[in-house]
Amino acid sequence: MIEIRNLSKWYGDFQVLKDINEEVKQGQTVVVCGPSGSGKSTLLRCVNALEPFQQGEIIVDGRSVTDPKTNRYELRAEIGMVFQRFELYPHMTALQNITLAPKKVRRKPTKEAEDHAMTLLERVGIPEKANEFPGNLSGGQQQRVAIARALAMEPKIMMFDEPTSALDPEMIKEVLDVMIDLSKGGMTMIVVTHEMGFAREVADEIIFMDEGRIIERGTDVSFFENPRNQRTKDFLDKILI
Amino acid sequence: MDWAVIPRNLSFLLGGLVLTFELAAISLAGGFLLGIIMGLGRLSSRKWIYYPASLYVNFFRSLPLILVIFWFYFMVPFIIGRPLGDFLSAIIAFIAFEAAYFAEIVRGGIQSVPQGQVMAGYSTGLSYYETMRHIILPQALRNMVPPIVTQCVIIFQDTSLAYVIGLKEFLRRTSLVDSRELRSLELYLFAGFVYLIFCSIGTIASRRLESRQIRR
Repeated sequence: MIEIRNLSKWYGDFQVLKDINEEVKQGQTVVVCGPSGSGKSTLLRCVNALEPFQQGEIIVDGRSVTDPKTNRYELRAEIGMVFQRFELYPHMTALQNITLAPKKVRRKPTKEAEDHAMTLLERVGIPEKANEFPGNLSGGQQQRVAIARALAMEPKIMMFDEPTSALDPEMIKEVLDVMIDLSKGGMTMIVVTHEMGFAREVADEIIFMDEGRIIERGTDVSFFENPRNQRTKDFLDKILI
Repeated sequence: MDWAVIPRNLSFLLGGLVLTFELAAISLAGGFLLGIIMGLGRLSSRKWIYYPASLYVNFFRSLPLILVIFWFYFMVPFIIGRPLGDFLSAIIAFIAFEAAYFAEIVRGGIQSVPQGQVMAGYSTGLSYYETMRHIILPQALRNMVPPIVTQCVIIFQDTSLAYVIGLKEFLRRTSLVDSRELRSLELYLFAGFVYLIFCSIGTIASRRLESRQIRR
């Protein structure tokens, strides 16, 4: 589904991604962790062409991201994205947040888009908040609306950029539950997170990034129990308490 | 003092006030629209858009308005071969000039919207235009309201400069009445009073909106 080959990216002289290689197969969930500034978010943004890169190749569902023939708007419509700070549109209700892109990009009639949005709000457990503005929702509720907004485009892939980092502890679970549900439902996912409980439960692969490089990768348990790299070990010690 | 001069000429003076308002309203609408385009241009990462837009804004912001009014009045007929009339050339001058100031207001307003909102729009497949139209501009506009109201007050005052090309707006008519009636003190006090009233309304509205914004 996603193939990243020899990806390198620079901001000016600073190399933020260094020769990244990764493959995500259909239906897999890949968890990316690592200290801040290690290039995790940048990696996600390269996949849906929100950021340009200078070297290497990313192929999403058979299409190269950098190929001029690839329509990047269509590409992005196929990839749902959830942000750390939710990024709901504050001037629109939850329902309007969800239906905007289906109406504009997919040209869905309003009624159809709203029905679908309601189904999604039920799926994330807050249908009663449809007509609330984001400012009146808790962080956990906002993030669930954001997930519904991404799902409304019926994407083939979902990317999560630290979706629970800005949440109060008691709200983390409600968001993770939705994500676990998605993953078990067969969605292809890349998740940047430090929620190792989530990783244990659903990750098909966990990669650890540091200073723009993938320095460790593992499938499930082996990753936590005997990391080969000292850097990984130190990091895991810190976040696993 | 002979205040009777004012009721005697009131309809003539008010006619000028109507023209002043027309001038201000059209300049505001046109200047704002052009200002949005220039403001977006100032934020473009494409050099061929950024540089012309920046040149435009800096150019008009470094000229006195009265000069711009003269330019359009004398130059446009020279270029298109026929006179435009004082009203139309004043309108064009005001729109061109005010657009430069609105561009900076628009730029500031858009920059006040977090970059993540753009990312969110793009990530769902929306185009640049759709993202601006539905996500960024509505939020930016909210932040722009106080400076826009302030700019409206300035435009309202600026329209008096159109008298230099003979346009019979409010202040010009006041001076015409004065040359006939020789009641400078009363007439110009009255004119000042009228400007004061309308500009105060604008200023108060702006302050109200600002305090509402802070509370939100």
